[in-house]
Amino acid sequence: MAGIDVGGHGGKRTTNHDIPLIPFIDFLLCLVAFLLVTAVWSQMARLNADARVPGPPKDEPPEEIKKEKQLHVEMKGETSFKLEWKEGNTVVNTIDVAKKQVPVGEKGDYRYPELAKKISEEWTANGSHRAASDTKMDQAVLHTDNSTPFSDVIAVIDAIYTPKRDFTGKKTEKIPAFNVTFAVN
Amino acid sequence: MAEKPLSRFTQPISVPGRRLMHHVPLKFVRKKVLGGGHRAANHEVPLIPFIDFLLCIVCFLLASFSASGELPIDKNVKLPNAENVIDMTDAPMVAITGTQILVDGNAAGSTRAIEESNRMQRIDELFNVLKNKRELWKQLNPSKEFPGVVILQVDRKVQALTVKSVFQTAAFAGYPNVSFMVGRLGKSGE
Repeated sequence: MAGIDVGGHGGKRTTNHDIPLIPFIDFLLCLVAFLLVTAVWSQMARLNADARVPGPPKDEPPEEIKKEKQLHVEMKGETSFKLEWKEGNTVVNTIDVAKKQVPVGEKGDYRYPELAKKISEEWTANGSHRAASDTKMDQAVLHTDNSTPFSDVIAVIDAIYTPKRDFTGKKTEKIPAFNVTFAVN
Repeated sequence: MAEKPLSRFTQPISVPGRRLMHHVPLKFVRKKVLGGGHRAANHEVPLIPFIDFLLCIVCFLLASFSASGELPIDKNVKLPNAENVIDMTDAPMVAITGTQILVDGNAAGSTRAIEESNRMQRIDELFNVLKNKRELWKQLNPSKEFPGVVILQVDRKVQALTVKSVFQTAAFAGYPNVSFMVGRLGKSGE
């Protein structure tokens, strides 16, 4: 047993106490065993998307929706992606980016770093929602072929989520600059 | 005047040296426990470093502890990986395995009709299951705003047409915030 000697004897209650180390170690071992058994070593995460559908009807009149610039990412091309900034139906700007896959890891995943870089540059130049207090995000609309494999869709969404900005909510954090939705046509 | 030798008085500071186990009455035991020229047979377990070590493990495990439990992942689903991800949240899980659609492990339709027609369409069975889940949530939490989050667990080989149909069905059923479950990929790609 370990002890703490805190000085001389006053004649009353003893000031020399033992810390019961063995029950303490037993408690710690039980805690370690419990935490190891219940530990979750999962590496799962999620990529968010937005369906952009109207919510349930409300009594208040709907807010007037301002036409904002949206980034349309067209991934139907064989050799290149087409990035289009649109304001409503008006095309503001069009950029072609080479479709260059870069494999990562050993599970057959791949990324599009050139697309990610170009999207970051485009957001820096044309993004509307940059302020840390802004609760809205710029909208990206993804156009895919029906036969595109899901892994390809995820690689492009991952590239769209590359540009990040500060957001001050309850705490300041980095959030993706874009919100992704699918084109349904 | 000559100084008196110090040995006449009680020494306040004793000469350093071995003290423990010196008063063991049996000579062979004393010799054994003191080492007797060999390595001592009586070893102290270093308790304090051991407790420090245990405390470190406890702190690490507590920091990585998750009360939400393990995520149920279908063995047939091979998820894609991504870098720019956010942490998982507690929400209904829609899994697409082959041609089957599962909501929290229970069958909720098939993708066969979509593949055969080769066009985007609403999956009625999935729609009804999700709608019921939403209504149940609202009954259980009348004062809270419905988050409308659903997580799609989709195999990496599933076609975009199926994904978009499930996505649209979930949105129609009142779940506009759709997340795709992916593996977390390090920034270096590993």
